Amino acid sequence: MEAASITGGDRGLLSRSPLARVPDRALRWGLTVLAALILALIVYFFIRLFDESRPAFEAQGVLSFVFEDNWNPSAGHYGALPLVVGTLITSTLALLIGVPVAVAAALYTSELAPRRFRGPLTILVELLAAVPSVVYGLWGIFYLAPKLHPAEVWFSETFSFIPFIGGGTVTIPNCFIAGLVLAIMILPIVSAISREVMSTVPPDHKEAALALGATRWEMIRLAILPYCRSGIVGGAMLGLGRAIGETIAVTILIGGSTQMVQNLFGQSNSLAAVIANEFGEAQGTHRSALFACGLVLFVLTLFVNGVARYFVVRAGRSSGPPRAEDHRAGAATAALVADTAAGA
Amino acid sequence: MSAQGTTSPLGRLAVSPGRRRKDRLARGAVLSATLLALVPLVLIVYYLLKKGLGAWSSDFFTTDPTGSTFFKNSDIGGVKSAILGTIEMVALASVIAVPIGIGVAIWLVEYGRSSWFANVVRFFVDVLTGVPSIVFGLFVFIVLIIGTGTTYAGWKGSVALSLLMLPVVVRSAEVILTLVPNGLRESALALGAPRWRVIGRIVLPTALPGMLTGVLLAVARAAGETAPLLFTAAYTKETTTNLSGFMNSLPVQIYNDVTSPTPRVVERAWGAALALVTLILLLNLIARLVSRRSRLA
Amino acid sequence: MIKKTFGALAACALLAVGLAACGSSNSSSTSTSTSSAAAPKVATTPATGAGAVSGAGSTFAAPVYEQWGSTVGGGLKVNYQAVGSGAGLTAIENKVVDFAGSDPPLKPEDAEAIAKNGSEAVQIPMFLGAITVSYNLPGVKTGLKLDGPTLGAIFTGKIKTWNDPAIAALNPGVSLPSTAITTVHRSDSSGTTSGFTSFLSDVSPEFKSKVGEGKEVPWPNGTGAKGNAGVAGAVKQTDGAVGYVEQAYALTNGFTYASVKNSSGKYIEPTLASTSAAGVGVKIPADLGLKVVNSPNPGAYPIASQTFIVINKDLCKAGGPGGEEAAKGTVKFIEYGLGAGQQVLAQADYARLPPPILAKSKEAVKSLQCNGSPIG
Repeated sequence: MEAASITGGDRGLLSRSPLARVPDRALRWGLTVLAALILALIVYFFIRLFDESRPAFEAQGVLSFVFEDNWNPSAGHYGALPLVVGTLITSTLALLIGVPVAVAAALYTSELAPRRFRGPLTILVELLAAVPSVVYGLWGIFYLAPKLHPAEVWFSETFSFIPFIGGGTVTIPNCFIAGLVLAIMILPIVSAISREVMSTVPPDHKEAALALGATRWEMIRLAILPYCRSGIVGGAMLGLGRAIGETIAVTILIGGSTQMVQNLFGQSNSLAAVIANEFGEAQGTHRSALFACGLVLFVLTLFVNGVARYFVVRAGRSSGPPRAEDHRAGAATAALVADTAAGA
Repeated sequence: MSAQGTTSPLGRLAVSPGRRRKDRLARGAVLSATLLALVPLVLIVYYLLKKGLGAWSSDFFTTDPTGSTFFKNSDIGGVKSAILGTIEMVALASVIAVPIGIGVAIWLVEYGRSSWFANVVRFFVDVLTGVPSIVFGLFVFIVLIIGTGTTYAGWKGSVALSLLMLPVVVRSAEVILTLVPNGLRESALALGAPRWRVIGRIVLPTALPGMLTGVLLAVARAAGETAPLLFTAAYTKETTTNLSGFMNSLPVQIYNDVTSPTPRVVERAWGAALALVTLILLLNLIARLVSRRSRLA
Repeated sequence: MIKKTFGALAACALLAVGLAACGSSNSSSTSTSTSSAAAPKVATTPATGAGAVSGAGSTFAAPVYEQWGSTVGGGLKVNYQAVGSGAGLTAIENKVVDFAGSDPPLKPEDAEAIAKNGSEAVQIPMFLGAITVSYNLPGVKTGLKLDGPTLGAIFTGKIKTWNDPAIAALNPGVSLPSTAITTVHRSDSSGTTSGFTSFLSDVSPEFKSKVGEGKEVPWPNGTGAKGNAGVAGAVKQTDGAVGYVEQAYALTNGFTYASVKNSSGKYIEPTLASTSAAGVGVKIPADLGLKVVNSPNPGAYPIASQTFIVINKDLCKAGGPGGEEAAKGTVKFIEYGLGAGQQVLAQADYARLPPPILAKSKEAVKSLQCNGSPIG
């Protein structure tokens, strides 16, 4: 019987010989050492990056590197502000467009779709992950960008009164297209993780809400989304990581201009793209400036993750005894019932 | 007191038109968002088929690229070495990254939990997700090639790829493991099962299908990345099983071919892209089939 | 619990510092050459490893070296990585490859770094190329004439439309539309940009002060695209676009390009003959680090460029990854390139070396050695 094999035999349930503790101890220490080694590797990675970028920081100065708007390696200037701004804008755009669509797709596939469509739909959305990044870049520049160009021109002209969005020159490789394709690229990650998380919502939560008279959407809002929040944020963080660090696709789509981005539909640059564009031919200080770009990306991700983590920890959730979350959901459902009773 | 809108057997708990409208609106929005998510897929697949299917032939899969692209009638060869190289390098990268990643995730969820140390590990692994793939390649280039004075090698490309895969595996596995209900763990522990058995026989099997998703995402990413391989595994035309020598791979082959002035070579690049997508899709399907089979068993 | 956490943290911090210390001292560790260890295989040359020749560098030269590698014969296997001239030089400085491909002539600091491996650096010109000014102007199919200052003004944005008086003055009798000019440039670092901007800086003081020359420059306007293919695609897609595209690319794909005025005042089209002519009359320094841009030859196309193979003079002593056999193979490869390989170039729209440079290159090959005895 299962129970017997799990407990390992006929011994008294609460007694365990010291010998039997060994595998437990070994596993615990083995995994701890593994985690420590991985941490050491990542710290070493960071240290090595810093080592390689030191000449650039010495030549340019750390603050000046990040905040000066003057990227001209041929003249020895390494002010990376246009690159940082470009990276932030494209990643934010990718998150803004990608995460809602991904979560919606996950919701649909796990809750609302007719049962027989769920499997195929899941596979279809995850098929997006199978496309290599270089294909995204090429498809974007040869197919999508020219197709969207007239719409972008129209949008830019109609909304020319909004400072950053409208009124500038619309080029074919531009900031918006890069953000849009990035959104498509992060879709499968965020969607897959959200879907997995949603599938673990205990059925009683869902059924309780429905039994109390909630509509489908209300049930989702009250029972599923709060439960899945930290898991979805986890998925979104992975998506953001991908967006910030994506190299090849962004390189092809963003236009590689060395000036600060003027408008959403104009050319821009990103830290990862500049590394890909310039490393092959770079030497000496230029090369360490490119490593410095990698370091800045590292720190950027650190900062963004820190902020996100703060919010996740506040609303964090792990499976376990009922927590404030559940009480909140319960209270909302009760309020709903009260509303209905009052004839709302 | 009577509910506005339709009466129903439930009487006072009937749904008001306001709520029903909201419900329909929300469901419509979710459906349209899902369809929107599928539009790029259809477009990309169609584009890939249009540009790449023409390159497929039995030669395409069974011959190596020849490098002879100048003459009008020369045989440019196929992409056999690229396909095999990708399979070999991604397999090695997975063998490195997946056990380590899952191990770290287990530690984070089971042992580290919310201790200070665990949070530091979590933090840094999260940060690793934002590092561009090219920086991993450059790191391996600096440490394993320039640093040791040895030349490009397939296994070094695998190391760069495994660095890329690691944070995805750890993070997604952690999310899934966290969602295994504590009740399962507690009842097994209450019955006197040792920790390692609880993890091995209860937690892992429950979490396996979810973790498989994360692993497949990581593998798909690794198979499709060019930048880490450009400076580490290098490029060669021949098929080779020697991971300590130069090795070809589909993304690098695509990258090299797509910038060629010869149209036939560009077409081969698209054919290779189509082959890569098909390869990853097949891997996905096989893995899911296997997992479903083992779940039922 | 706290003690355990701190213990683990301290252990891993020590580990990290230790790794970093080991890593940063890598420059002092000399790697023992694998040349004497690997016994050369008798029957077949393996695809990789001992005996196969490895190279890295210039993306411009990559298709040529690949082609030569496939037709050189004699069981020789050549593996070339198109990672860029800079990365290629880094690779050979660290003995990671047997030869490097580089477009610009060697800088003194690079020559020094390569010489540290025990033998001085040698650069051998292999072939020439040209940078065409390709444009997309419906109605003006061929024969557009442009000169240096006008090109400079176009690319700094001073000339904004095609029917500008400056362009019209150079092209009497051609009806130029009033389409706006869209300039297209490379977004990635490249020798092509370097060659083009080098020419413009030479002939247009305004361009030199506003933009300057280099592998990547701060273009004041226009669209950036990645790679030759990107620039070519962008030019094709936009009416009124003009961009600089490598000759092989432009010729193979039937682009429309302009004739450019050279230093003798003649308007020359970028043909293979006029590109090779650019190598005639150019001063050839002792270390062969020549530049063929703006050649004094009256029949020369002005925006021409060159590419070198960079190796150590004594290949075996310097110790490449492939050992002695790869060293001999590298020399065979270079000899082939300078011999039958030059015929192959014409069929591919690359320009061969003119006789004066070819002779000097062959001389340089003869001076190559293996542990003191000549190979070439």
